[in-house]
Amino acid sequence: MQADRRRINAPAGGTAAPVFTFTGNEDLLQRPTRTRKADEHRKIFLRTKVVPSASGSAYYEIPPAKSTSSNGNLVPAASNLKITCTVHGPRPLPRNAAFSPNLLLSTHVKFAPFATRQRRGYIRDASERDLGVHLETALRGVIIGERWPKSGCEVVITVLEGEEDGWWGDQQQGSEKSGGWGMMSVLAGCITVASAALIDAGIDCVDMVSGGTAALVRNPESKTEEVVLDPSPPEHEIKAACVVAYLQSRDEITEMWMKGEVGEGTEFLTDQAVKSAMMTRTVLVEAVKEGLEVEGAVESFNGAPKAAKGKGKDVDMTD
Amino acid sequence: MASSALPGQLLGPTKSNNIGAGTHISSSNLYASIAGPLTSNPSTSKSSPAPTISISRPSGDLLPEVNTTIIGKITRTNPRQASLSILALGPTGAHVLREPLPALIRQQDIRATEVDKVKMAECFRVGDVVRANVISLGDERAYYLSTARNELGVVMAWSEAGNVMVPVSWREFVDEATGAREGRKVAKPV
Repeated sequence: MQADRRRINAPAGGTAAPVFTFTGNEDLLQRPTRTRKADEHRKIFLRTKVVPSASGSAYYEIPPAKSTSSNGNLVPAASNLKITCTVHGPRPLPRNAAFSPNLLLSTHVKFAPFATRQRRGYIRDASERDLGVHLETALRGVIIGERWPKSGCEVVITVLEGEEDGWWGDQQQGSEKSGGWGMMSVLAGCITVASAALIDAGIDCVDMVSGGTAALVRNPESKTEEVVLDPSPPEHEIKAACVVAYLQSRDEITEMWMKGEVGEGTEFLTDQAVKSAMMTRTVLVEAVKEGLEVEGAVESFNGAPKAAKGKGKDVDMTD
Repeated sequence: MASSALPGQLLGPTKSNNIGAGTHISSSNLYASIAGPLTSNPSTSKSSPAPTISISRPSGDLLPEVNTTIIGKITRTNPRQASLSILALGPTGAHVLREPLPALIRQQDIRATEVDKVKMAECFRVGDVVRANVISLGDERAYYLSTARNELGVVMAWSEAGNVMVPVSWREFVDEATGAREGRKVAKPV
């Protein structure tokens, strides 16, 4: 990877506010703990039509859980996840491109420079390109490309705030435990938000794809291992994790990414990730319906109460 | 039946439903492939009594298909063909595209009769606004269009002097300010 020569780069390294050594009350620095159940997903905010100039767009956010947000500390204990996605297309191919009978899909994932504690560069790095490839395989399986000959479609994702790989307090104390676990939740979010944006753009899909994660975590107190849905890396000691892109009505998986040492539980871990994807789908369905209602294309969906429009009604994430 | 559908939603078996726009078939069932309002058109033929199920796109058509009428602007001409960019879809340009699409009209597709006597300079000039029909998706670059119908052709034209002209016959525009006449393949007003 060549260095970015076109800009004046910020110094490499963290940009979090300095944390001074505590004298007496060291316990202020507390690792966040999981307060939701093992099979419970964090709340998701999802909305389409956020960028008027794009043919389709969506915004996805996992707000911080109340209990884990700072206890008297200015630096939040865990990060949120904030992703925007814009879809451009179907649009004509560039002049020099060859004839293509299918829709040419291209995906770009970019972390904003301020998205993580460790500042990101302006050029896409290896992990961002890797996420882009994962996302592309996930989406390629749902798009009906034959409907759009000689045109291209660009899916551009900007991660405004990324999930962390571990608790920042660990990194402060210099222990190297980063396993890239944050990427898994980011990918699941990318899949869901891209799906919403594609549907908003009106591109033909065989189903609505949604992303889900599950992880095998070790409980440091009881020394037991369990599988949790939607892991937040600062809260857990993750052994292995799995992301899937799942089509619920066809019961198909278009993309799967597993990492770590699972042992015999591979199938169970995948099943739990699928379960998590089914939960995200309920939010996706509501967001797409809301998008249709906002546009005025549909009076109200299957007699759903109209009063709830745009008020951020809560969806119970059940599968 | 629900008034609208989401991608992947089951619309019924293919035996009792015909495939329409915005739907697809998977293992002899009809599924929705876009999100939007559902319409069911009853069958007109006796051989297949099943209704046609289609979903309309809330944003309107995204790209032209064969037989779509479009509004475009001539960008370049040569004796064999005129290049233009498609700016809007529909006979009145109801749906404006986000970005222009390249297209061309070949000399033999300009009018229906006396095809070999057509002279490009007497039919189109750069800058003319044209209503045309898509006859083919064309090559890797351009859509192929035709104006070989009365209601197709130039709808707006500017004279050499730069004034907006008015049509006076099926083959001529006149500049009211200078009185100059210029040849065009004129579209019959609709």
